[in-house]
Amino acid sequence: MKTDELAKSQHIQYIKALDDKKDDYEYWLTEHLRLNGVYWGLTALCMLNAKNTFDKDKIIDFVRSCYDSSTGGFAAFPDHDAHLVTTLSGIQILATYDALNTLSEPEKLKTTEFIKSNQLADGSFQGDRFGEVDARFSYTALSSLSILGALTREVVDPAVEFIKKCYNFDGGFGLCPGAESHASMAFTCIGALAIVNRLGDLSSAQIDQIGWWLCERQVAEGGLNGRPSKLPDVCYSWWVLSALALIRKLEWIDFNGLRSFILKCQDIEKGGISDRPGNEVDVFHTIFGLAGLSLMGFDDLVSIDPAYCMPFSVTEKFKKYPY
Amino acid sequence: MHGVKRRQWTKELLRQKRSNDAMKISNYRALTEEGLTLKRQGVINWDAFDKTTEILNLNPEFNAIWNYRRDLIKALENNLPDKFWGKELSFTLETLKRFPKVYWIWNHRFWSLKRCPGAEGSKWRQELKMVDKILSLDARNFHGWHYRRTVVERIEIAEQTSLNQQELAFATGKINENISNFSAWHQRANLLPKMFANGQIENERQFLKQELDYIITAMFTDAEDQSVWFYINWFIQESCITSRWTKQEYQNALEQLAESAVAINEDEREFSGKDNSWCLKILVIIETIKKQKLGCVENEQRSELLQRLIAVDPVRRERYIYLLNE
Repeated sequence: MKTDELAKSQHIQYIKALDDKKDDYEYWLTEHLRLNGVYWGLTALCMLNAKNTFDKDKIIDFVRSCYDSSTGGFAAFPDHDAHLVTTLSGIQILATYDALNTLSEPEKLKTTEFIKSNQLADGSFQGDRFGEVDARFSYTALSSLSILGALTREVVDPAVEFIKKCYNFDGGFGLCPGAESHASMAFTCIGALAIVNRLGDLSSAQIDQIGWWLCERQVAEGGLNGRPSKLPDVCYSWWVLSALALIRKLEWIDFNGLRSFILKCQDIEKGGISDRPGNEVDVFHTIFGLAGLSLMGFDDLVSIDPAYCMPFSVTEKFKKYPY
Repeated sequence: MHGVKRRQWTKELLRQKRSNDAMKISNYRALTEEGLTLKRQGVINWDAFDKTTEILNLNPEFNAIWNYRRDLIKALENNLPDKFWGKELSFTLETLKRFPKVYWIWNHRFWSLKRCPGAEGSKWRQELKMVDKILSLDARNFHGWHYRRTVVERIEIAEQTSLNQQELAFATGKINENISNFSAWHQRANLLPKMFANGQIENERQFLKQELDYIITAMFTDAEDQSVWFYINWFIQESCITSRWTKQEYQNALEQLAESAVAINEDEREFSGKDNSWCLKILVIIETIKKQKLGCVENEQRSELLQRLIAVDPVRRERYIYLLNE
């Protein structure tokens, strides 16, 4: 295996074996990310054209077991608590398997209500009843509602107003108004605007500034960082590239440099991708490294929708807002 | 995993890890099983509370256990032991020292402070000292800066006052310690429009002159670092600044910056034989402003600069080509 090739079969093996690591302490310490992990793994497999690697029925049963019937949201694991982030993961997995109908209509309605009930007066969303506000939750809420076909003007208009206030002078977005720009927020804010068909709210001067800030995330090693003067990290291959793709400025970064950085982060023997060369791999960096490569059209990967971080073959079935 | 070195697991190393992990796993699983069972059964007592402490000490990312802990505190609130809140705050502080980037700990600390009794002003002032400490350990801690703004807002509400002056001084201090601290430059660009709008800048003309000198010094300090350049880009286009200049002053400020950029670039060319891309980028912006806002006649310089940028910063060439075709 050469270091300038994508180790596809190893990555498939790595993802397949994720649930066989029960002898590792880390497996148990990450239970609070299990549902997200399943979404990351499944989406990575989809890009590798290996969706059938996971046992569909088993996964759907697991997702169902994370449904919290008292709130209507999904938790990361049975007996954990529902949260907007894990709710999106649950919905994404079901949608990827074309299995949203395993939720009954009343259950779906309850999920919709759960998401909407976490919207605050200023249009922002809290992650759960304890009140943490973050643009990440605006994204997860709008994406979830979109997949469920349940967006409404009452939800979208104030949500968009809040997201627009997260825009900063440098062309980046912060986690709330006034917060420093962070590349992950470029994805959540621009992705959310794209999902509700409101990218047109950004002026062309803003779009140019956003493109500039995002392309300046690329450092000499070819990788992308999340903020000025920070080290590159594979996950920004997704946060930065998806946003650039949505504003149609993907080519403002150097594809070959980024590809070679991502490939250097592979464990070519055991599979998986890490944050930086020589570090321990994990499924989070594996999906976002692959997703970056997919957006750039490399390595024959299945194409991914930059707004939803799901294969186009899945998202093309979603009802597009405004309905 | 962020920042964890990949290891080559020989059979022997793996055997050792597995046997170490086996103990930890059985302990952790038993503990979390107990905790989650108590939570499911809705048990409200101090033993359950202690159980959450035990679990969170091992895994501060376990959000469902933080939630249970908060529900326990709320339910037991009428019978809290002496110094409960002090202990709760030390618990989050100790945990934050070990895991300064875990959202859930920051959230719980904020929740605790909102809930604990005491005079609002002094409570949050005390907290600001804690944030000072965290930001002195890592001056770019994203959570720390976000939390700082939240705490400042609390003080301002409680005391009906504005801390903008103090916060500008804080940001300046952080920039002076390290010119590449973009978190501090960001803070500066956030504060100034508010301060101008509220009349908190005493001598505006004097201030603008000083600020211009300040950023020129910063340019010379580290011309490779993008933090300063993004701030300069803001400074020369932000209306709270430019509206306070006469056309002549605006033009002079741009000339001064352009001269400095050219000088830095000349040094760089002498030293390495190459252009400094940031100097060129700011010169392009200055040319654009001169044409668009000051009605100067377009000259060849902008396209020439962009051509040089394509050569010196090829990874972003498509952007420069886009700007050339504008």
